[in-house]
Amino acid sequence: MTRVVEVPVQFDDRAFDQFARSYSAGDGARVLFDAHAAQWASPYGLVGLLTAGQALAEQGAERPLLTLPQDRDVVHYWARAGFVRQADAYFELHGKAPKLTPRGESDVLLELTPVRGADDVHEVVNHIQERAAAILTHELKLEAAATMGFGMALSEACQNIVEHAGTGGWVAVQTYTWRKRLGRRVVVIAISDAGVGFRRSLEATQAKRFGDRWGDAAALEAALIQGVSRFRDPGRGQGLAGIRRYLNRWQGKLSVRSGAARMTMIPPWDDDVPLADQLPFFPGTQVLMIVPAHSE
Amino acid sequence: MAWIDLKDILQHTVSSVYGDLVTRPTGQAVRTSIEALLPAADEDLAIIDFSTVRLMDFSCADEIVGKLLLRYGRARYFLLVGVHPGHEDAIEPVLERHRLAVVAQDRSGSLKLLGAMPEHARQAFTVLADSGPALLADVAAKLALSPDTAREALEVLRERHVVRESGGHYQAVRSA
Repeated sequence: MTRVVEVPVQFDDRAFDQFARSYSAGDGARVLFDAHAAQWASPYGLVGLLTAGQALAEQGAERPLLTLPQDRDVVHYWARAGFVRQADAYFELHGKAPKLTPRGESDVLLELTPVRGADDVHEVVNHIQERAAAILTHELKLEAAATMGFGMALSEACQNIVEHAGTGGWVAVQTYTWRKRLGRRVVVIAISDAGVGFRRSLEATQAKRFGDRWGDAAALEAALIQGVSRFRDPGRGQGLAGIRRYLNRWQGKLSVRSGAARMTMIPPWDDDVPLADQLPFFPGTQVLMIVPAHSE
Repeated sequence: MAWIDLKDILQHTVSSVYGDLVTRPTGQAVRTSIEALLPAADEDLAIIDFSTVRLMDFSCADEIVGKLLLRYGRARYFLLVGVHPGHEDAIEPVLERHRLAVVAQDRSGSLKLLGAMPEHARQAFTVLADSGPALLADVAAKLALSPDTAREALEVLRERHVVRESGGHYQAVRSA
């Protein structure tokens, strides 16, 4: 038996819960991720899809199938974003995967990159910093100070995987224009892992304090609002707070989904909800950071 | 006096490829190297040079600046040079969290107090930074504070090793 998990036609953060619902309704059967009709996927969608494959592999499940998008442009983008190359390790791919030559200029600031250790974080920051600086200052018209904070936020979010997930994860960075949603250019950072999530990471030190309230939402509150870390070192727990400050300063958006909850720091231009609980379960943690162009 | 170049340390201890102070293990390795380079005498100044560091994250700021000051800041004098606003964005929250303070000096020689400090003490530091060494009475007069309040402010600065006191003269920590 094969169970089909539909990949949303427009696969971004807003369609993610639909994907997670379909994914989490598992019954042990082999999974077919069906993306043949996909028309667009954000970096958040792509790292999430890889995470689903990674989680199944780490559970010892049979290697899932993945039908690639039929649309030539779409599958080219998936390949250009590094998805096809990474997906080959976790999925049995069906459909025509294009062979790509490297492109100098691209909207993909950082193609889908594995994060497993501190060296990967160095590599990611080193790779992206100069191009990010050019895009943040010239395309998004942000002050030079935005560039350093961008690298810091990226570094801290990636380290969250290394230090808390208990397994590897993925990061992707892209710039594009949100015509309908915002009418401005944005840089999007998407990070996902298939690890233990915030609840399990913080359970030993925080569950008692929260009592009956303890769960995915409470764990996110402890980490994002209270700056709590599983480490006793008082210097820990500053990374997420720093990311919040950075995004708040540049009117950016931060969304962290872990287990069955999602907490969002909402900028003035967005209509998301601050906390969503009782969502369909999805493994690990997914982080979305959006930095918009300066508003005239 | 010891001049400690962070880029040199980064290249010797972690990697000659990367120029950014990111990740906690990197911060720990760099701090350990700094500790080995601290002057033998507590009274000697340790100058930490950030001028060739492109990027520093919060984890490195906590390990390199936060933990260094937590361990040695009540006994030793530190001065940060080459600190740009991006570095400050990482350092300030760390200092606030640990209730620490340190002096940063720019290329023109101007001093800036980073971190947590009571208001009167911060004002007293500004007087010393702008005007040079001063007696308690001078500081009190410039800030229109009572002698007791001025003394209290200067003692806070002295205890935190951002100001030295010698023969009744208070002087902000700075490079020669």
